Amino acid sequence: MSDTLLGIFSWDFIGSVIRVTTPILLAAMGALVANLAGSPNIALEGTMLMSAFIGVIVSGFTQNLWLALFAGVLSGITMSLVLAFFALKMKTDIILAAIALNIFSTGGTIFFLSTLTGDKGSSASVNSLVFPNIDLPLIKDIPVLGEILSGHHIITYAAIVLIFVMQYVLYHTPLGLRIRAVGENPDAAESVGISVNKTRLIALIISGTLTSLGGLFLSMGYVSWFARDMTAGRGFIALAAQALGGVSAFGVALGALLFGFAEALSYSLQFLKVPYEFTQSLPFIITIAVLAFYAYIRLPQNVKRRGAQSGETRNGRLFQRVWEYFSRRAGIRKGVDS
Amino acid sequence: MKLKFRIDTFQLYRTGIAIGIALLLGYIIIFFSKIPSDAASLWEGVRAGFDNANEAFKWFLLGPIVRWRGNEMLFNERGAIQWLNESVPIIITGLAVSIVFSAKQFNIGAEGQLFMGAVAATFVAVHFPAIPVLHPIVVILTAMVTGALWAVVPALMKAKLKASELVSSLMMNYVALYMGLFLIKTFIRDTKAGSLVSLPFAATAQLPFINERYRLHIGIVIAVVSAVVIWWILRRTTWGYQVRLIGDNINFAQYSGIATQSVVFQVQVASGAVAGMAGTLEMIGYYDRFLWLFSPGYGWDGIIIATLARNNPLFVLVAALFFSYIRVGAKIMGRNTDIAPEIVSILQAAIILLVTAEAFLSGLKQRSIEKRARKVEEALTGREVK
Repeated sequence: MSDTLLGIFSWDFIGSVIRVTTPILLAAMGALVANLAGSPNIALEGTMLMSAFIGVIVSGFTQNLWLALFAGVLSGITMSLVLAFFALKMKTDIILAAIALNIFSTGGTIFFLSTLTGDKGSSASVNSLVFPNIDLPLIKDIPVLGEILSGHHIITYAAIVLIFVMQYVLYHTPLGLRIRAVGENPDAAESVGISVNKTRLIALIISGTLTSLGGLFLSMGYVSWFARDMTAGRGFIALAAQALGGVSAFGVALGALLFGFAEALSYSLQFLKVPYEFTQSLPFIITIAVLAFYAYIRLPQNVKRRGAQSGETRNGRLFQRVWEYFSRRAGIRKGVDS
Repeated sequence: MKLKFRIDTFQLYRTGIAIGIALLLGYIIIFFSKIPSDAASLWEGVRAGFDNANEAFKWFLLGPIVRWRGNEMLFNERGAIQWLNESVPIIITGLAVSIVFSAKQFNIGAEGQLFMGAVAATFVAVHFPAIPVLHPIVVILTAMVTGALWAVVPALMKAKLKASELVSSLMMNYVALYMGLFLIKTFIRDTKAGSLVSLPFAATAQLPFINERYRLHIGIVIAVVSAVVIWWILRRTTWGYQVRLIGDNINFAQYSGIATQSVVFQVQVASGAVAGMAGTLEMIGYYDRFLWLFSPGYGWDGIIIATLARNNPLFVLVAALFFSYIRVGAKIMGRNTDIAPEIVSILQAAIILLVTAEAFLSGLKQRSIEKRARKVEEALTGREVK
């Protein structure tokens, strides 16, 4: 028993957590940007699937990784552009448009896969490339730390860097301010000269770019082929991770990590005869509970602070709000009730 | 009144044009994918492309109802029955979603509701005492109650906490999938079968057949009756009026004394109950055991169909029959040519995008309204209005 437990929490396990977290993390950040701009992107699933497919096909036919990266990201952006065109310009409901795009990707990838390769299940017959793993110089020689930090996939490192980049962009740049303003109150933003549609378009493009990297990781890193429906709901899981993580990129990264942890754990715990269905569904149950909790503390009767409009609570103040709630409960009064 | 009718015909035109564009898109894609790479000349290639696309479209558009013996066209009984059978689950989910949409609420949890409903129904279908007639009724009721219970969580969160039902109902889908498979696997798995399936249902649990040979079951009748009943409830009862009023303007509904919170809750739960039976009808009708390993996707189809039907339960029938027709057509095309039937999802996506695009052809609508207004004004004033 203890041997198995040790086996679960080994370096391999940490490595597998990082591997399964990467695509969820990238897509969850995509969800975050789009959500903050008030144009929720439910098409993450389809976007990921499409980029995973395009990346494999382009790398297989050109044998060029850069072209594959370019085409994969471009396909993600194209999905976002279509979504933006219909949602912003043609006034389609953005949720319905995204559902249509997901359907398009699910069937479209299979159709084009079978047209190009004659195989409907996977791209096994295509000699596609993968993005490399990176050994960090110097760090890889440090005994324990090196094993954890070094040797991961290049997109994993990119994702970690992007957490900080996104946090900076969203909360410390004019663009980030515009994105949040448009999501918070489009009319107010419009009245001070911010173009709502343009800002949302930019947010959706960023969202598509991040998500497409997640898709590329799946087919050119996690495994080295494209298989039908290979995203297996990760785009929707990313939405959950974002809902769990709140409005900061760091929070979203933690949310994604929880889902990655649960998925990796479910593989390992099968040795302990714990049904994987339990571990797999746990993050979803936690998400529902956390959403209910967030909603509960945001109810008017639970918001005591003067001047706290609903808008302010949504925007970057979530953790503060949680903290306030608990401190009020615990009787701590530290400048919150002034 | 007449003006309103005009706008509705406009919607009809628009849906027709959207379908036309989607079909054209499908034709073009097939045409380009079927130009042989080793054609002698460009002209030869293009002609082969047209020939192949025409052949494919013949199967696609006529396949479900026509079969050919030589050059003679015969009624394709098997295809037509497949068409009707496949429309049953998506009619039901379409109805479920149109109930919530009528109140401008969202339900993307139909997927989980129907999955859980089917899981619960499986237990009853296998273990409930085998009493003819009563058995399938109990099975369907179990599925409905389970679906409703599965909708309670997001509905409560919405009504009591004002939490968006969008994410919570999506999460419930995954919980349903994992929990449902776990229950089937642990308690009712047929260990003699090679794959993960439940024990076979009791013979008494099966829905009666209309056509035994191709397994046309009475699910389609249940679906049509449900559509009429739900139409009646939404359009002819006080509760239905309240629901639609909430959909039009929830604040107005609140001020006029409707308990909006509780009606919204009821709408979600009612939708869950209807969605709950979607998969079950197929399972005790066409199949004889639980055999899903993944979510079947009917919940998503329901959203599309309710949107196409503009939340009118009677139009849901038409939209669902249309969707299942092009799906069966695509499958028949896939069997007779080497074109992957999945191309149909490209068409579906195009149709839904164009039909839901408010701005698509809105210039046309504007002009027709202006023209009418001008006519009315001319009739009233007796002067020519430019």
